[in-house]
Amino acid sequence: MGSSAKRKKEKKQDFQKQKLRVGKGKLKAANATDTSFKAKSIALKQQSLSANAPSVEAQCAHHLALLNHKSDTQRRDSLAFLTTAIVNNAPGTPLPQPSSVILPAVQRLVLDGSNKVREQLLKLLQSLPKGDIASHSDQLLLHTRAGMTHLAAEIRVFALDVLEWLLGAAADEVVSCAGGWVKMLKCFLGLLGWQTDTSGKWSTPKSFGKAGGDTKVQVKQMGALALFLKAGLVPLTVAPIDLSGNGFPLWQTEHHVLSQRSNAYAHLNLFGAPRDEEAEMYEDREDRQRVFHERAELAIVAGLEQATKGGGELGRAAAHLRKIVKEGMADYRGEEIAQQ
Amino acid sequence: MGKRKVGALEKVDADLANLQYKVRRDPASYRDDFQNQYNQYETFRELFLQNPSTTDDGGIVSLRDLIDFISHVANCYPDLTAKFPDDLIQIISLHHEVLESELRDKIVGSLVLLRNKDVIDSSTLLNTLFPILVSTPSKSLRTLLFTKILSDLRSSNVKATNHKLNRTIQTVLYNLLTSDRASPKGIWAVKITRELWKRQIWTDSKAVEIMKEASLSDNEKVITGGVRFFLGGDKEREEMADDTDDDEDVDIGKLRHQAEINKKTKKKDRELKRAAATVKKREKKKNAPHPLNFSALHLLHDPQGFAESLFSKHVQNSKAKLALESKILVLQLVSRLVGLHKLTVITLYSYFLKYLTPRQASVTSFLACLAQATHNLVPPDVLEPLIQKIANEFVSEAAASEVAAAGLNAIREICVRQPLAMNDTLLQDLVMYRKSKDKGTMMAAKGLLSLYREVGAELLKKRDRGKDAAMGLRSGEMKERRFGEEETGEVEGIELLEKLKDEERRKKREELGLPLDAPTDDDEEEDEADNWKNWDVESDSSNDSDGWINVESDGEDINISDSDDDSKPPAKKARLSSGPPDAADAEKENSTTPSKSAEPEAKKISKLLTHHVLTPADLKKLQELKVQSSVTSQLSSFKKRQALAAKHADEGVSKDDIEAPAKLGKKMTREEKIAGAKGDREEHHKSTTAIRKEKKAAEGKSTTNKEKARKKNFLMTLGKAKGKQKRSLVDVRRTLKGHIDRSKRGGKRGNKGM
Repeated sequence: MGSSAKRKKEKKQDFQKQKLRVGKGKLKAANATDTSFKAKSIALKQQSLSANAPSVEAQCAHHLALLNHKSDTQRRDSLAFLTTAIVNNAPGTPLPQPSSVILPAVQRLVLDGSNKVREQLLKLLQSLPKGDIASHSDQLLLHTRAGMTHLAAEIRVFALDVLEWLLGAAADEVVSCAGGWVKMLKCFLGLLGWQTDTSGKWSTPKSFGKAGGDTKVQVKQMGALALFLKAGLVPLTVAPIDLSGNGFPLWQTEHHVLSQRSNAYAHLNLFGAPRDEEAEMYEDREDRQRVFHERAELAIVAGLEQATKGGGELGRAAAHLRKIVKEGMADYRGEEIAQQ
Repeated sequence: MGKRKVGALEKVDADLANLQYKVRRDPASYRDDFQNQYNQYETFRELFLQNPSTTDDGGIVSLRDLIDFISHVANCYPDLTAKFPDDLIQIISLHHEVLESELRDKIVGSLVLLRNKDVIDSSTLLNTLFPILVSTPSKSLRTLLFTKILSDLRSSNVKATNHKLNRTIQTVLYNLLTSDRASPKGIWAVKITRELWKRQIWTDSKAVEIMKEASLSDNEKVITGGVRFFLGGDKEREEMADDTDDDEDVDIGKLRHQAEINKKTKKKDRELKRAAATVKKREKKKNAPHPLNFSALHLLHDPQGFAESLFSKHVQNSKAKLALESKILVLQLVSRLVGLHKLTVITLYSYFLKYLTPRQASVTSFLACLAQATHNLVPPDVLEPLIQKIANEFVSEAAASEVAAAGLNAIREICVRQPLAMNDTLLQDLVMYRKSKDKGTMMAAKGLLSLYREVGAELLKKRDRGKDAAMGLRSGEMKERRFGEEETGEVEGIELLEKLKDEERRKKREELGLPLDAPTDDDEEEDEADNWKNWDVESDSSNDSDGWINVESDGEDINISDSDDDSKPPAKKARLSSGPPDAADAEKENSTTPSKSAEPEAKKISKLLTHHVLTPADLKKLQELKVQSSVTSQLSSFKKRQALAAKHADEGVSKDDIEAPAKLGKKMTREEKIAGAKGDREEHHKSTTAIRKEKKAAEGKSTTNKEKARKKNFLMTLGKAKGKQKRSLVDVRRTLKGHIDRSKRGGKRGNKGM
């Protein structure tokens, strides 16, 4: 194309460099479009009031999204940002992002591979207001349990920290949620290596993934178990709702008032898959006692025996645990005797 | 997000592969660890079930890894993992649409693994996978499931046919097709059945029944799938069987030799054993009787009903919206069925009338279908208008040469099957085209002429009839066959076999010095026994007189032969149709055979046929004899015709058969000519030595010592050469003497034998 001299010249012109001259200003490109216009008044539809920085809410949302980042420093930094945002939040004002948004996003990180991220996560969790935890306790507990059964020892230990925090925040919900009692007990037995069903006569070899662990870890595990059992077995010293004691026309009012818990009819399991004994909810203390007696008590007592023999720190933790078991199961035995 | 890099420290702890290895070796000791992992799997599963579409790639260990681990060691802890397969089945069947692809594939793979470890049974697996295959929108999952289903069906049928499983799956497929005839899901039933048919895993009528339902469905893809199976499934099966025969050539001798020379390793040992096993297997296979598989068309239960419903549903029905291509396929199947089973579907022929014009798209296929649908029980008056129309539309001076050739050939193909459909004026008209300048037309017309010389010479003009036909007509040997007339069955060339057997018997008797006739009872029995013993043995020629002497059990012989000792005259009398005593007589006998064939049928039926069971060896011999005496040239015309018809009935007519003569007239291009001239000769020239060497290698022979010495590396020979130069004269003499001595003796050990 374009063999004539004229065409060649035109073509050449397209690529010629314009000379810049001092004081003349930059030359406009050949294809520059004039975008200037004239108007009497200009109205902008959306005006950002913050002149330079996005709001804390937006930043928090951004950092929540960054929790999936592949770099662990980035994940930790995002968690740290969220933590400071929550801590610095003025009392009385709502959180920059509600807990119902934050918790589902962060709970995955219980299983995170990086140590720093997990530590920061615990800080974040502790900074959250305790009242918001209860409704998310079953989800959190699932993740915690996943952490407790994890192959990596560090994550197993960390999950205990999370569990302790969780028990501190919403003890009742934790022990009474679906699968919260039996599965957790099983999980603890597995952790401590106190499973009863391996009734071989041979000495058990040291577990593969350092399940028993050293004494320090075991002490920690027993501590967590003690907390857990205390939440589940030892009766709360909360006085029942006492509506002036003798509300004459209304008897047993406390059973008919609206429940204070969220999802009060969860135990009916109207929409979920059918549950077996393990996944069942045990809302009553008596139920829990019965299941504990059937499934775990023997193993724990046997395990405690061993641990007490070890003495030292381990023995002390074992003694504490035994005390709690005794305290929790005291009236259960009584019932049994009474029945007979 | 990709998989995060796992640090070395993390790896040590979260090493499922390591644990798996240890568990496999000692399940009892690692029970606790397994229990922990199983607990974790359960928690992960619960987490996952909250939101099945999430990916859990974030953590160190994903659900995928856990599933993989557990399914690998599930057979070690059957009590702990009792619920595991059900869990997987539930996940995949409920959530397969939203699952992340890797996890989905892993679950499918794990289920198959569990099946291979016999944790679950085949029917559970297939009943899980098949509904997903039918319903999933993902193409990659479909291919995966399809291969898995097929391989599982194959592996469960390897040792023995698993009838129960096959029946279940066949029922599932059948129900899939019949439950919703309009849905395209039936294509999977077609695919699976076809594949299994090809591999000879399903060879029963139930599979054919499935395909029958497929052909009668409402979805076009399913219909064509089913129809194609009937048209090509058996050929595919045969090809597959041929392919598997020569997959790899194992030269066991070479391997054995190499094993002697090369370093002895366990691997080499194993290889040798495996090779020996394959060779043995192949030998066994070669000797095994050919598996008798019926073709799909023969396994149909109700061909008449099938053909009628196919025709009325897909072809004749004006509401059927099939593409022309698929319609032709269906038509091919219908006509094939009609031709093969000699069905009567009268409306089929009038249907063709509309399509027999040269402008019709793919008209040659229609012509082929018409020819295929013709058989000797079709009323000639139904075919006559069709032939007339073909002649009018195709065969004229104005039509293109290819068209005329195709038309003539189509008419010929129809008339081969039903000669009565032709009338004399039309035939005489058409035969005139043998003078055409176009080669294709000419050949087609000649074909028609030669056909009618054999099957209906009286329709031709006298001068066209040819010598044989004219003489046959005059002598009355050639008769027009009536509609519906069938000839009686017989074995071709049986008289030759009979003659041979007689001769053999005579020879044996002569050797023994017995009278030629008058067979004794024990003699006969002995021969019978011989016969059965040598059921499969090839009796190669007449000179081995001990093997195949068959004393005829003709009762007449016994009756006629009196106790006379002079043997010859009664023997001649006795043997009516049996072998002559000498060559001159044989000549006479041969010359009289035509007159014999003119005798009534009843006399022709050989005694060999009525009184004996022909062994395979007998049949082989019969074949040889037929070739030797070139029976085929002496065959009467209707036998030839019968052979022709038999060939056609089994194979059907294709479009190419109709088009073949038209191609004759075409000029080849230069390239085609060159390619044709080259044929399949060797491309490169090779020296005779190279060819000889190749031949030796193919025979599995090695090189000679001389050749080895010649080929030996020069540097390797240097040392010896140097040493030779430094020898003393005495030494040289000694070696030379030794050499002479050895060559005289024939090698170190000598050649004189042991």
